[in-house]
Amino acid sequence: MSSVVDYLGPLSAGIGNTLLITFGAFGIGAAIGIPIALARSARWRPLRMLGVAYVELLRGIPPIAWLFIAFYGLAQLGIRVESMPAAVGGLGAISGAYMAEIYRAGLRAVPHGQFEAGRAVGLTESGLYRHVIVPQAIVTVFPPAMTYVIGLLKDSAIASVIGAQEITALALGEQQQSFAGLPIFLAAGIIYMAIGLPLGGISRWVDVRLTRRLADA
Amino acid sequence: MEVQGLGKAFGPHRALEDVSLSVAAGEVVGIIGPSGSGKSTLLRCINHLEQPTSGRVLIDGVPIADPGGREPSAKELAALRRKVGMVFQSFNLFPHLTAVENVMLAQVKALGRPKQEARARALELLERVGIADKADSRPRRCSGGQQQRIAIARALALDPRVMLFDEPTSALDPELGLEVLGVMRELASDGMTMIVVTHEMHFAEEVADRIVFMADGRIVEEGPPRQVMRAPRHERTRRFLRAVLDR
Ligand SMILES: Nc1ncnc2c1ncn2[C@@H]1O[C@H](COP(=O)(O)OP(=O)(O)OP(=O)(O)O)[C@@H](O)[C@H]1O
Ligand SMILES: [Mg+2]
Repeated sequence: MSSVVDYLGPLSAGIGNTLLITFGAFGIGAAIGIPIALARSARWRPLRMLGVAYVELLRGIPPIAWLFIAFYGLAQLGIRVESMPAAVGGLGAISGAYMAEIYRAGLRAVPHGQFEAGRAVGLTESGLYRHVIVPQAIVTVFPPAMTYVIGLLKDSAIASVIGAQEITALALGEQQQSFAGLPIFLAAGIIYMAIGLPLGGISRWVDVRLTRRLADA
Repeated sequence: MEVQGLGKAFGPHRALEDVSLSVAAGEVVGIIGPSGSGKSTLLRCINHLEQPTSGRVLIDGVPIADPGGREPSAKELAALRRKVGMVFQSFNLFPHLTAVENVMLAQVKALGRPKQEARARALELLERVGIADKADSRPRRCSGGQQQRIAIARALALDPRVMLFDEPTSALDPELGLEVLGVMRELASDGMTMIVVTHEMHFAEEVADRIVFMADGRIVEEGPPRQVMRAPRHERTRRFLRAVLDR
């Protein structure tokens, strides 16, 4: 029977795709989260409802179901999507819903007086957000966003169900060949942690600096 | 600067009703009145942080906007606000920027001044309000009185035509308040046009050219400080002044 160490090599071949899914989906989510957050707090009711519907729908259905829908559903409509783009796009769409809520919480954490002060000195709305609001909101946004990325790293494993060749899919493949479940999945676990732990460390480091920048001179 | 028939309703509640006020260049107008009488709302309507429901505001004879007509565009609003400096009760400095950056930001981003020039001007203003030594500190490292003086410098940096002060000292210990009042006194004697909402009756009487007393969203009476404060014509004013001076 092979040991855990023997599987580290073969499974590492999936790291690239795991990272691609994680950061690709996060990138999409971070980008589309902005218009969704704006829609969520828009003054025009239909737009607001649309934002609410998006967030609730994407968060209310398990990611694994969304990936099946993205992959097989689209295929049924005659739209062929490869498993990697489907995984990145599907998890990206879900991330958009979560990021929108994180952004909203960040904006709400900035005191109303900051908006007033920025407007009172004649900044335009875009200038206000760029130079006054976002630099403050980011302190609130960053920690949950990083927690979300690390969660996404683990959730990327479900992309295996639609055939994306990431770490978990390779582990499942190995398992079917050798029937040695435990060492294979222990090896997979070690690889996930090897990516996740430094990510957590970096995020705490950045968080401390962001907070310090806002707190004092 | 002129305010004509300004009205503001929050739903059914009328916070301001038909307020007209004209302020000459270099004049200092003190606004006093009980809590909830609409003093803050008036200041916030003047620079359109709050959109007035009726009436209009003119600066140098140019109307800012015609309510009832269209809302001013974002560009027009930003342009207007550069002519009107505002100082808040709670300072509202930008916490992520140092004192000098606070004073520079709008010069660079709103007026388009070159950074070097904006910095020089910011340092000059911080010097003028007596806190040049705090230029590179963030607001949290400054006392309340220092923060409010930075806020005054920030507003002055745009070379506004008129400065609005909304209870600038009421969040401060009396001693720190004095620093701020000192700066305002100097501004007034330098000829700055100012509208000051305040509960500091002595300051109002000493510095203001005219006192406006407001109650229930209206101007009840106005006149020279001595007259309004020592010999008010209206019972409502008398009642308010008794309550304040008895304390
Ligand atoms: N955004 C708002 N929404 C609803 N009502 C408001 C709003 N802002 C002010 N009001 C109401 O308008 C009235 C006038 O308020 P304003 O803050 O102008 O009074 P003020 O004279 O500044 O009082 P204070 O001395 O307590 O600061 C109050 O009754 C207040 O409750
Ligand atoms: Mg007030």
